[in-house]
Formats: sequence, C-alpha cells, structure tokens
Amino acid sequence: MAQIFPPWWNKLPIVAALAGSLGPLLAVAGVWYYFSPWYTEVGYRPAQPVAYSHKLHVGELGLDCRYCHASVEISPVANLPPTQTCMNCHQTVKRDSEMLAPILASAASGRPMRWIRVHKLPDYAYFAHSAHVAAGVGCVTCHGRIDEMETVTQMTPLSMSWCLDCHRNPGPNRRPVSEVTNMKWTPPRDAQMLMAQLDRERPVSPPTDCSGCHR
Amino acid sequence: MSRTYWRSLAQIEERPEFRAFHEREFQEGASELPDGVTRRDMMMLLGASLSLAGLAGCRRPVEEIVPFVAAPEEIVPGIPRYYATTMPFRRSAYGLIVESHEGRPTKIEGNPSHPSTLGASSSRIQASVLGLYDPDRSQRITQKRETKAWSDFVTAWGQLSEAHAADGGAGLAVLSESFSSPTLARLASELRTRYPRLQWATYEAVSEENRLAGLRSVTGRDVDLTLRLDQASVILALDADPLLTDPEMIRHARGFAAGRRAGVSSTLPEPQARPEPSQGATSSGQAMNRLYAVEGVYSLTGAMADHRLRLESRQIAPLLAALAARLGLPAAGAASLAAAGVPGVDSRWIDALAKDLLANRGKGLIVAGERQPAAVHAAVCALNTHLGNTGRTVSYYETKDAALPSVSSLASLVSAMQAGAVQTLVILGGNPVFDAPADLDFPSALAKVPHSIALGHTVDETSSRAEWHIPRAHYLESWGDARAAGGTLSVVQPLILPLFGGRTPVEVLGLMAGGQDRPGYDLVRETWKPILGEGEFDRKWNRVLHDGFLSGSELPEIVPAVTAEPFAELGRLRATGTSASQAEPGSPGDLEIVFLPSPSLHDGRFANDGWLQELPDPLTKLTWDNPALVSPKTAETLGLASQDVVRLDHGGRSLELPVWLLPGMADGVVALTLGYGRSHAGRIGSGVGFDAFTVRSSTAPGFASGVRLSKLARTYPLSATQEHGSMEGRPVVRESTLTALRSKHAAAAVPAEGAHAPDPHQAPKGTPSAQGVFPEDPHHFSLWKEHAYDQGHQWGMTIDLNACIGCNACMVACQSENNVPVVGKDQVARGREMHWIRVDRYFSGEPSGSPEMVFQPVPCMHCEDAPCEQVCPVAATVHDGQGLNVMVYNRCIGTRYCSNNCPYKVRRFNFFNFTKDTPDILKLAMNPDVTVRARGVMEKCTYCTQRINRVKIDAKLAGRELRDGDVKTACQQACPASAIEFGDLRDQTSRVVKAKADPRNYALLEELNTRPRTTYLAKVRNPNPDLEGVA
Repeated sequence: MAQIFPPWWNKLPIVAALAGSLGPLLAVAGVWYYFSPWYTEVGYRPAQPVAYSHKLHVGELGLDCRYCHASVEISPVANLPPTQTCMNCHQTVKRDSEMLAPILASAASGRPMRWIRVHKLPDYAYFAHSAHVAAGVGCVTCHGRIDEMETVTQMTPLSMSWCLDCHRNPGPNRRPVSEVTNMKWTPPRDAQMLMAQLDRERPVSPPTDCSGCHR
Repeated sequence: MSRTYWRSLAQIEERPEFRAFHEREFQEGASELPDGVTRRDMMMLLGASLSLAGLAGCRRPVEEIVPFVAAPEEIVPGIPRYYATTMPFRRSAYGLIVESHEGRPTKIEGNPSHPSTLGASSSRIQASVLGLYDPDRSQRITQKRETKAWSDFVTAWGQLSEAHAADGGAGLAVLSESFSSPTLARLASELRTRYPRLQWATYEAVSEENRLAGLRSVTGRDVDLTLRLDQASVILALDADPLLTDPEMIRHARGFAAGRRAGVSSTLPEPQARPEPSQGATSSGQAMNRLYAVEGVYSLTGAMADHRLRLESRQIAPLLAALAARLGLPAAGAASLAAAGVPGVDSRWIDALAKDLLANRGKGLIVAGERQPAAVHAAVCALNTHLGNTGRTVSYYETKDAALPSVSSLASLVSAMQAGAVQTLVILGGNPVFDAPADLDFPSALAKVPHSIALGHTVDETSSRAEWHIPRAHYLESWGDARAAGGTLSVVQPLILPLFGGRTPVEVLGLMAGGQDRPGYDLVRETWKPILGEGEFDRKWNRVLHDGFLSGSELPEIVPAVTAEPFAELGRLRATGTSASQAEPGSPGDLEIVFLPSPSLHDGRFANDGWLQELPDPLTKLTWDNPALVSPKTAETLGLASQDVVRLDHGGRSLELPVWLLPGMADGVVALTLGYGRSHAGRIGSGVGFDAFTVRSSTAPGFASGVRLSKLARTYPLSATQEHGSMEGRPVVRESTLTALRSKHAAAAVPAEGAHAPDPHQAPKGTPSAQGVFPEDPHHFSLWKEHAYDQGHQWGMTIDLNACIGCNACMVACQSENNVPVVGKDQVARGREMHWIRVDRYFSGEPSGSPEMVFQPVPCMHCEDAPCEQVCPVAATVHDGQGLNVMVYNRCIGTRYCSNNCPYKVRRFNFFNFTKDTPDILKLAMNPDVTVRARGVMEKCTYCTQRINRVKIDAKLAGRELRDGDVKTACQQACPASAIEFGDLRDQTSRVVKAKADPRNYALLEELNTRPRTTYLAKVRNPNPDLEGVA
C-alpha cells in the first residue's frame, strides 16, 4: 500500500514553526513600514533638473508664490511655471550662470523642462488647490516653510488621515485669505476672535465623505 | 390595468435557460477565468505571485511635471475649456460644445443655441470623440502601399491635373459623400469650372434620395423638409423612424417629448408655464400628441406609438392611397384612388386615422420613411399641404450648397469606369467598395481606373484598393463648415491639430480646384467673406466661431402647390403593390427584405468605435452583431429559432447569417441591418457581424420582395443584454392612459401646489402616488437606522418614462463621462457589460401579434436605505451626506455581495483589468476627473459626483449659492428628450422637486423600502377612443 504521507512530511513541524514565527514578524514589519513616514515619504527630496532655490527666490528676494504658481487660486492644479516665467527675469539676470543653462536651453529650443513631482497624491484622490486657498488654508500648512528650502522637500505625510484631521477641524489651519501665501504668518493673539470672524465671513464645511475627494 | 410585461420570448415561454439566467446573479461562467483556469487554480497562482510581488512594489514611481515653455494665455492647467464646433453627418450638421482638457477633447455636448442639437446629443455624437483617438486610424499617405509625404501627393496631383486640363477633365471623376457645406460647394463649382467635363457622383449608402426625388416631383426644385414635432397633435409615421435613425433625431425627439408632455406633466421645459396636472392641457392649449405608426420592422418610433400597425413596407403605398381617399381630396386626385382598401388591414383603423387627421388640420403631420419610394414622399407632401400642415408642423426649404445623394450618379460613374473612360478617380471620403450596391460591382470597376485617390479615416476597403490613400482628418481636427437641416450655417472648428497628419475633404478639394496646397482655414474663411461681408470680417468671424453658427442664416420656407399628380402616381404604385402582394404573405418564397441603417454604426462608418459596437440595439438589445430579424410567426412558419444560421437568397446573391426573433415585426418580413461585416475597419470593427451590402442592389436599396431563407444546420451565438438583470416580473414599469389619468385626477382632489413633498426623503415613499394614479402602498419601516438627510444639498433624479424614447444617448454619454470600459462580445454574453446606465426594454401584449414596447433607463437608484451598503464587509460602499451612495474603489475587495443584494442590478464588476490593454492614444479620451477602475473592483453610477464637486467648488470660488440646473449629469445633458431631471431635493423650487410632485411619480420596487433617490414618472399613452377593440 502506498504511503499516504510521503517522507518530506517529516519536515512539516519545522516549516510550521518557522512560518509561525516569521509570520507575525512580517506583519509587524509591514505595519512598521507602511504606517511610517518612510512610506508616506515625508522628507522626499528629489534632485531637480535645475537646482532652483526657493530659499533664494522666496525667502530672500520675496517673490510671491503666485508669481510662478499662478493658477493656484482658480484651478485645482497649482501649475509649475512655464520656462517663459523664469525668462521674465533671467532674460537679463544671471544669464551666464551655469545653473541656469537648462532653462536657457529650454527657452531656446522650445523643449519643456521636466521637473520631478514632489507632492504626490494617489490618482484616485482629487485635490483642489483653489478651494483650499479660498478657504484660507495657507501654503505653508501643507508644503512647509518653502521659503527656507534650498531643495523642495515633502514636509507632511499627505495621507488620508492627515487630510481628515484638518477636514474635521479646519479652524486652527485657517487664516485670512490675504495671508495665504505669507510664509511667516502667525495667528494673532486673539486667535479666537479671528476664527469667529473667518467663520462668519466665509463659513466652510470641508467634506469628510468619501465623495468629497474620491470620484 | 393588468398588463403583463415580458422581456423576451424566452421569458414567456419559461425556457430553462431564462430561469437559469435570472436566478443567478452572475451568469454561469461569469466567475470563471478564460482558458479554463478555474478559481481554485487562480488562488494557487495568486498565492505564489503575492510572495514575489510583495517585495517589488514598495518604491514610489518618479513622476514628472512638464510645464509649457511659453504658456498659451487661455490654457490653465486643470481647468477645461469649451469650444463650439460642428459635426457634419450626411447633410446634417450638429452644433456642439466640446470640452477640452489641456488641449485634448474629452467630452462632447450639444450646443444649446444650435437648432439641430438644442443642447442635447445622440449616441453617435457622444461616441465620436472615441473616433478621434481611434488607434487604427490611418497614419500615413500611401501610394501603392508605399509611404509618401503630402508634398509627394501635391506633386503627383500637379502632373495629373495638367494631363486632365488638356481635355477639360474628361477622364477625371470625383465620388463624394453627400454634404451640405458652403466651402465644399464653392470648391466643387470651381472644380467644375476648371474641368468642365468632369464627372461628379454623390453616393450615400443610407440616403434621403427618395424623399428628395418625391419633393422634386411636387415642387420642381431641390427641396427638403424640416419637421416640427412639437407643433403636431396627430403624427402618422409611415415606415419612418424620425426618432432614431433619422439624422435629425435629436430635434425630433425634443419636439416629440414636448408634445408628449403637453397636458400630462408638470415638468415643462419652461418652469413658469407649469400647468395644474388636472387641466389636461398646457397654457398654450395644446393637448398631448398622438402617434400612429405603420411599419414592417419594429422601430423606436413604432415603440413610442399609441397605435401601431404592422404592415410590410411594400404595403405602405396602398395604405397611403386608402388614407388619401378618405381625406377629402379634390376630385381629380380622389378619382385615381377609388376603391381603396388594403389587404389585411381593418378599414376602421384607416377611418379613425383619417378622422383624427381631419380633426387636427394644421396640427397633424404625416412622415414617410427614407426607404419608401419617391411617389410616397410626393403624396405625403401633397397630403400635408392639403391638410394645412405645411408651414406649421412641416416646412420646406430649397437646399443650398449641397451635394445631393444619387444612386444613378454612382451607376453612371461605375459604367464609365468599367468602360475605361475614367483615368483618375478621386474618392472624397466614403467607402464605396464596402457600401456601394452589389449589382454595380464597384470593386472591379475601381480596378480598371489607372489613378485612384481615396481619402479615408482608416485604410478601409476602398483605400486599400486605391492607388493613393490619404488619411482623413476627424471633424475635431478639421476646418470646415456645414448647413444644418433648415439651412443654419455652422462652422467646423478644430480642437486639436490632426493627430496623424490627416487632410480634410476641403483641403483635398481645394488642391484640386485651386491647383495649390492651401490650409483649410484659409479656404473656409474665403467662403465666409462674402457671407459675413468684408467690413469687420474678423469680428464677425470670431463671433461665429464663438457661437458655432451664424444665427439668422436659415433658408427661407417655401410652400409647395398641391396638384393631383402625386396621387395619380400613388394610384399607379398601389396597383403594382397590390399585384406584388398577391402571393400568400409569409410564404417562404416571397418574404420581403428590408434594409435598415444600424442605429449605432449607421452605414458602417462607425464600425471601429467600441462604444457603439457594445451599445445594445435599442430594440433587440443585441451587441456586436446584426442578425436577420424576423417575426415569431414567420420564424415558426420557416422552422427557425433565434441564433439559427440561415442562407438568405435575394436577387441572385446570397448571405449566410443568424436570425433573431423580434416580436412585433410584420409577418413575412426579413430585416437586415447595414453597416456590419466590415473587413478593413480596424481591430474593433473588422469581422464583426454580417455584410448586408452584399445582397443590396441599386434597384431596391430600401426594401424588395422575393427573398428566400433556408435554414442551415448550425447556430451562431449572439450577445444580447436583453435578459441581463431581469426584474422578476414585478411592476417596474408603470403606465396609464391619458383618459384614465384625467378621470383619476377628477376623482382625487389635487392638493394645493407644494402641499406634497415638503420633505424630500419622504417623496419616494409613495406619498405622491397616493393621489390616485397608483394604489396606495402600505407604510414601510426600516430595520436599519435611518439617516436624516436634512443638511446641505440632497441630490435626486427623476426619469420621465413618458418622454424617454430609449435611444441610448444617455448610455454613451455616461460611458464617455465616466471612463466606462468596453468589454467585448464574449464578455457581454457572460453578463459582464459595464454600462452604468442601461435602458431596459419591456414588451407587453401578444408576442405573435403586435406587442407594445416600453423603455426604462436604469442607473443606480441611490437608495437612502441602500441594500448594497448593508452587506459590504469592508464599507466600500457607503452613503455620503448629500444622499449619494458612493463607491470607494480603493476599499473594494471584490466580494460582489453588494451586487448580489442590489434589487436594481445596477452594479458592475471589473472581472478583468479591462483598461489594461487600452492603447495609449485611447487614454487621451478619458475624463481626467474620474478614476479609472482596476480589476476586482465594483463600480456603478455616481450621479456624476465629479460634476457636482466641480460646480460646488466653482460656486464657492464665486461666492454664491448653487442654483438649480448648475449640476447636470452626463445622461441628463445628453438626453434628446429631456427625460431626466436632476437637482437638489431640499430646494423646493428645483425642477426635480416639481417633477417628483407629479402624480405619476413612483419609485422602482418601493415595497422594498430602499427609498431610491431616482424615481420615475409613469408612461402615459394616448389611444384613440375610436380604435378601441380594433387590432
């Protein structure tokens, strides 16, 4: 009569023991990784084709965000500037800088710049810059102190729970719309008064339903 | 009323496969993978691949942002732009507004100001955006299959034109499609001046040639007509389908629905003109219209008819003669029609019809189908004029700037080609090798032409046989112009440069006529300079571009004189018709063959459009095929069943194809649908269906006698969506008659306006229906915690079954808006079609007799107590605060419990990654605002939540409240009949609240207490009391 259990079944207890100990370990490792900023990529700082310094342009020269990201108030997308926007100044300023060479080449050849996206949401999440700017959410709230960055870095997790924290309680992150692009704005001492005023003038009801962001 | 509704013949016969079909949620095999991989094998494979894939998928992909170098001022990333343009189709022109995302057209809507679309659209218009991105479109100019440049063609043409100039163009011929375009007409006449002996043929496979010939015989001029169905109280359609296959179906459907609502509904196009439902008439005093249809094949118009008479196409002329004899014609006309009677038709039917038409002089309308001979059209024109309808319900205008279709011009061209008299043939679009009458044998004639030049979207049947092939630009890539029916001048404006370097007929004709290569833009502007006047031309031109058309450019109406001649001709036709029908009707040897244009593919030009191929035929619900249609009784006589393959012999030619039983067809009629069976359409359309053109002759392009069907010993599987998602015989469609509605109103006191529906979530509970039209439903209570829904916007929808004509425009509009994939014939047969809104079709009545038909569009009902939500183990389908039943793709794990528990069967499951193999270029047609779903995810109608969100954000930015009508769902916007209303149920002034207050309002399966947000308005029929009991 044929053996029901072939000889290699003898190894079963060892395999089972290994799986039993490795399984929980893998589960822990998975949570450790996927719940961490490592996965949400806080601190993501890719090298851009041109080492454009926001610290210089915004922090020291005082350019407003909207000079380059012009569509942020009207469009869901805060655009990256066309090469032409760089050339508005660099037509004359620092023309011979080596760092600027790709921009000049782009302007001359008509081939667009290829920037690396830093702040990335999943494709099934639909974020509208315009709505957030209109509600008085400052640039700095999500993007951090861009004016102090040599290289743009992702400062916040951009995860769903992080979004929802604010959607459930938007008050602390609101400011007058006129101060949205102000990197150094701090709430006045009578913050409560301001909140009340903002709620009166422009009440917001950020969606917490799935359909608010997912379509 | 106790009507019995049935979906198919299999249902009333209680065939086992039908039981099996709707007892299973997912059909047999729906859960199996192809190639015999079972679910168990799959689990093993999954286990193995998971351990391998787990390690590779962690790294985030690097994504690039590529801005402009110099940004165009008007393009803001993320904000779509809208441009007016025109889609030319045969001699019609559809004014459109096209949505463009960062320079790529994604969605097409009707232009609300344009007279031919009125803001609505049709399935073909909606699907045409897919045609733009068709990966099988021709991408290069070829000469004898070798790639050439446009400049090579220009040079080659220069040599040819010199040769032809010597003898005045005697060896030169042009074959064009019919058109109605000032620029093309101007260039054509310049070409004729340059080559006086040029031969010009205009051919259209499905054409209005007979109508034009009939009207020419009455008026002596080239005249065409426009119908105003909204003005008509009594409409008679003779073998005609103005509501679907007619190029002007949008306008007709809008007018018909308006006349249908009159005196019935509270949802009138103008809110201020809202009448009390009990009055039975609008403020303008017009009563609900009544439609009579006489036809051999079931058409959509026949489905909407209050009285439908089954009659072979060849019997239409005798019937018209009999009718004319009863309409009090002048003696000269009546004499030739004496002793009028039609075999097989109850004369009381004709009497009642004649009485109705006479009672509604000036408010009646007779329409004859394109298939019918010229004499019928002439007589119909004379009758309409005799009844005083001309100028009111139908108007005539002299055609201008048009190339009118003519089979005889093609015939004489072909004989010249056969004789070797044609040296150079230029085919300006069209596909004559495929669709020319079989007896002309166009392919062999083409082979005798030394130089042939074919302009085509694809390397189609014609282009592959021509010496030169030039890719043709899509209308969204073209500069051009067109006259809409009625004459309105419209501009074809490109939204994108030609993707594949295509050329337009304007440019090719411009090269031929002018001898130099000029851009289409210049040629069109040159035509428009005299139209708009030189002074301030640019300003006026920009105005026209903005509007899409030139207002006030309609052609003047003319009134034809009535003579006895059309009736004499009709009498002669009747005599021949009667003698032809001497044979026993329905006998196997003498069937009548009828050629139908496909509602989707028309004459085959849209064959490579997946959306249209998968769109179920409105009447048969078949996808991806065109079987021969016969009535059940004819099938019984011939011993046929659906899907049996037959050999069809007609006029010495034969075709093998399957048959399909369509109840309500006249017995003894075989209907063939044109446009299928293409061999060179592309990856979608090649080899789909059967080529009916192979048995169609130039002598009888519409219908003919003498067809034989012989059964072959095999079957051919057909994919119908007919039985999918059956509703188990519950009263899902409700209908009433106008008289019953009125008497119920009189019995039940109608409460003051606004007294009902104070609370939106009460509305679907049956409160309005308690007012009399339907029996009162018992009160239901829920075992589940009920939501309050008293904050913010609460969205709801009504679908007016009385207006819905079942044309499927909503289905394609939804597909285009929501990135719904195409799955293919095999998957449809397994019940895996993905349409978010389907149009159910129900029959009622005797299947072998003349059953009636009703249509019911079914999207997700957005139940307030949604059964799908209660069974989802991962909360992937939940309610939001606006009452939307939302589907969270990212949470879905694909248990399909929700679909099992949905009583409406509106959920669609991605059995495969249907979009994985989508060619890159087709991805350009996708709506960037809607997620593309992956395998293993459930999906369904979202009430176009992306549109709601966009409008809400826009209103917020503008600092204003939402207004009623700001949010339009894709289906609502496309609907030619305006059957769909959508809006905020908490806004008591909104049109949807008013519609829900209509006594006809009912919720689908409301006994289940799902509280659907989408409700229906019952259908109302308006039968003639004189015809009670008359078959």
